[in-house]
Amino acid sequence: MVDVSQHELVPEHTVLEEDVLEEVLTEYDIDRTDLPKIKRNDSALPDEADVGDVIKIVRNSRTTDQAVVYRLVVE
Amino acid sequence: MQNSTPKDIGSINFGLMEPEEYREMSATKIITADTYDDDGFPIDMGLMDPRLGVIDPGLECKTCGKHSGSCNGHFGHIELAAPVIHVGFTKLIRRLLRGTCRECSRLLLTEDERGEFYDQIDESRKLGRDLNDVTKAAIRQARKKDRCPHCGEVQYDIDHEKPTTYYEVQQVLTSEYSQRIAGAMQGDEEAGVERTTPDELAEKTEIDIGRINEILSGSFRPRESQRKAIEKALDIDLTEEDTNKLMPSDIRDWFEAIPDEDMEVLGINPERSRPEWMILTVLPVPPVTARPSITLDNGQRSEDDLTHKLVDIIRINQRFMENREAGAPQLIIEDLWELLQYHVTTFMDNEISGTPPARHRSGRPLKTLSQRLKGKEGRFRGSLSGKRVNFSARTVISPDPTLSLNEVGVPDRVASEMTQTMNVTERNVEEARRYVSNGPEAHPGANYVRRPDGRRLKVTEKNCEQLAEKVDAGWEVNRHLVDGDIVIFNRQPSLHRMSIMAHEVVVMPYKTFRLNTVVCPPYNADFDGDEMNMHALQNEEARAEARVLMRVQEQILSPRFGENIIGAIQDHISGMYLLTHDNPRFNETQALDLLRATRIDELPEPSGIDDEGEPFWTGYDVFSELLPDDLDLEFTGTVGDDVVVENGQLLEGTIAEDEVGEFGGEIVDTITKVYGNTRARIFINEVSTLAMRAIMHFGFSIGIDDETIPEEAQARIDETIEDANDRVEELIEAYERGELESLPGRTIDETLEMKIMQTLSRARDNAGNIADEHFTDENPAVVMAESGARGSMLNLTQMAGCVGQQAVRGERINRGYEDRTLSHYKPNDLSAEAHGFVENSYTSGLTPREFFFHAMGGREGLVDTAVRTSKSGYLQRRLINALSELEAQYDGTVRDTSDTIVQFEFGEDGTSPVKVSSGDDNDIDVERIADRVLDSEFESDAERRDFLGIKTEPTNLSEYADDRLVEGTEVTSDD
Repeated sequence: MVDVSQHELVPEHTVLEEDVLEEVLTEYDIDRTDLPKIKRNDSALPDEADVGDVIKIVRNSRTTDQAVVYRLVVE
Repeated sequence: MQNSTPKDIGSINFGLMEPEEYREMSATKIITADTYDDDGFPIDMGLMDPRLGVIDPGLECKTCGKHSGSCNGHFGHIELAAPVIHVGFTKLIRRLLRGTCRECSRLLLTEDERGEFYDQIDESRKLGRDLNDVTKAAIRQARKKDRCPHCGEVQYDIDHEKPTTYYEVQQVLTSEYSQRIAGAMQGDEEAGVERTTPDELAEKTEIDIGRINEILSGSFRPRESQRKAIEKALDIDLTEEDTNKLMPSDIRDWFEAIPDEDMEVLGINPERSRPEWMILTVLPVPPVTARPSITLDNGQRSEDDLTHKLVDIIRINQRFMENREAGAPQLIIEDLWELLQYHVTTFMDNEISGTPPARHRSGRPLKTLSQRLKGKEGRFRGSLSGKRVNFSARTVISPDPTLSLNEVGVPDRVASEMTQTMNVTERNVEEARRYVSNGPEAHPGANYVRRPDGRRLKVTEKNCEQLAEKVDAGWEVNRHLVDGDIVIFNRQPSLHRMSIMAHEVVVMPYKTFRLNTVVCPPYNADFDGDEMNMHALQNEEARAEARVLMRVQEQILSPRFGENIIGAIQDHISGMYLLTHDNPRFNETQALDLLRATRIDELPEPSGIDDEGEPFWTGYDVFSELLPDDLDLEFTGTVGDDVVVENGQLLEGTIAEDEVGEFGGEIVDTITKVYGNTRARIFINEVSTLAMRAIMHFGFSIGIDDETIPEEAQARIDETIEDANDRVEELIEAYERGELESLPGRTIDETLEMKIMQTLSRARDNAGNIADEHFTDENPAVVMAESGARGSMLNLTQMAGCVGQQAVRGERINRGYEDRTLSHYKPNDLSAEAHGFVENSYTSGLTPREFFFHAMGGREGLVDTAVRTSKSGYLQRRLINALSELEAQYDGTVRDTSDTIVQFEFGEDGTSPVKVSSGDDNDIDVERIADRVLDSEFESDAERRDFLGIKTEPTNLSEYADDRLVEGTEVTSDD
């Protein structure tokens, strides 16, 4: 099987620690359910990711160098 | 509508309405189907009861005392003789019937299962998912149960016959059970089934032999257990379906007993919507204002469709009651019940499949409630989201190069129809009086005035003088549009932001809207009969917003690609090319003439002195007058040479499409980004006028002779084509001999086609090259193609050299008759000629066969564009509907209306495409450069901050303020 997470076009996905998550949620003043979603069976996810976790995705961006996005794991 | 303040809507609840609520809000009970008595007065407790509201002006409403116009009308109600099903809820009713117990009405799920679904609903709600998925799953699981988990009652299938009939389907013993058993006991020798004697059967089923005989004789109906035993022993089916119709009243009773706790799992809020309310016992009667009757010319009254339908309902309702009281047989009652159901159904929706639509006497289907709301012309899409508006005008557009790109020429008759409200104060009272005294017909006049007491008076030719004297502070004057007013201008289809822009009015004679040709690209307009719409703004906020945000000059940069969408087009580009290509010289008169429509009224130092001792100005220098003084630029231009601008002076290069053109002209783009929109507007205006002067100076025309080539050139072209034909013949021969080698991944046939296409396209190119050799650089078609104004070298090749291969679906033309394209050719002729190669040029003229093939290719193009526009139009509509609720928030995130985050930073970089200047080919780190400059300039941070301050763009007020804004050039008006 190909591990897509190693592909150069797949950005880095990491599970967010609970305390960091709190900071993110207060920063945007949202519940975790207001975050964009990602399916648990998404092959880019790290193995330890579980439903309810929040994933931090760091993408390369032409204009801002790095763009950070958070997603809630569902199903 | 005076003294009405805007109100905030806190929330809206959707739910079912309780019958008692209908009765409470009802102004009267309706009992008679008649509307008016013989004297023409509405009958009390009839469908036109005066308590339902007023439609005739002058009458007073019996319920609220208001007059027509201010009284919204009041609902009445009809007490239905028997409950009927509401058509809008048939699916939900079916779901509830299937999911609940027929005996105890409880949900057919155990406590645990119910809890699970309850949690799922909670989660779905939190994640913003569709709750229907969960409720559907719950019903699906409940339906699987054969027995109620609470009371143990056996459950039957529910059959739904559209639209409003429900059956319970039970398996019962068939009436011909004895025959079936006897038949099975005979056995079947062919199928190898042995005979069964009654004794054997008795033994197998453990039923007494006497009983078996009684069953076989038909005098005893086997019990359920016995039936099953016999069925098992003989491998037969003794049941038949028995359908038991559920009357609306049964369903209502059933639903009344559903406990509140069970309903939340089904996505129903029991406090707001009890399921039994889906079965109507009371029908609300819409107020007369919702179904006004019209008096025809002959004095007859014509009633609204809804009234007709209500008449039907009341009639049947009365007949139903009479019959029931008279003790009519069940069959008649059921028929009437069904009829009542039909009328109530069609009253709400007359387009139900499986039900014949209720019709008017003329045979036209009635337009009932749902038809009023549905579809493009319905209440939502037709009357609420979009409606006809006042203060708008539409007419044909035509070009006017003397206007600024910010302006629009408005016909005087439009200007004096549409008005702007002037609030009269001491400071403008003289002006206001002047407008009013001009009356409604003379152009800068006024149509209405409003006195301080709120009374609105029409200004007429007769009263205008008198009225003008009375006008004073505190009045309002609706004056005509005048030069400098701001209006909104639009051309459909409004596909992007720039399809609606604000323009300043210039009132003009005649009947068309006039606009500067440089705003054609954003509107995608031309002047072959296009019409455009204009909207006059009606309050100060709108006018200010339009001026600051929507004016054409604010839209020069397109958010689509971050470059200018407005710039020189067509003749402007040819003109600039002629002016700058060979850097021609002009004497003083000529140079002044070129610049006469610009702000420049003094020539710079002459570029030099010619041989006769006269000073001259070069094209470069004339053009440079339009550039900002400190502009520096260097890039590769349209023609392929380097364009160099230093200190606002064009030093090298030709000005053409890539320099000043519409989609990303480098100079226009830079000026917009560096010097601001106002400067860019002035530049575009001046470039276009200079270019027009230049093209008029040189003269520019095109005729058939410009595409005709000398005979010897024609002979060479013929030779080339002959040559190509020969080579095609060779290819075909090789193919027929089987000597053609196929290319990798292609069949031999495909290889041949490809090679022929290649040969022929090379032939066309060669023909084009030969033709090109005979065109000078001054040839107008060449000038246009070179500069990018219009057309291409390919167009020129086709006009002068050879039109070339015609294609349908990317292949040579292969359709038509069996094995040939036209009956003029032999079957299986593979030659160039037989498959749509056009040897002639447009100038020399096509042969009839060539013309036919050319038409085939041309038709494909037309069909393609037609299909593409409709497809992409629909796609865009759906995209826009999906994206319209997304909004960039103050914290930089993009969220939808439920506050779910879509992007954490707008566009992932938080920048606007029109404010940023980076592309794949220019990575400018502006920030770093700016910081470096500032760092070397200032020692402390505070000093630096003091210097920088906060920069604000000047709010652009009007064209007339330009002189103060641009480079301090003091130019007084040129009129």
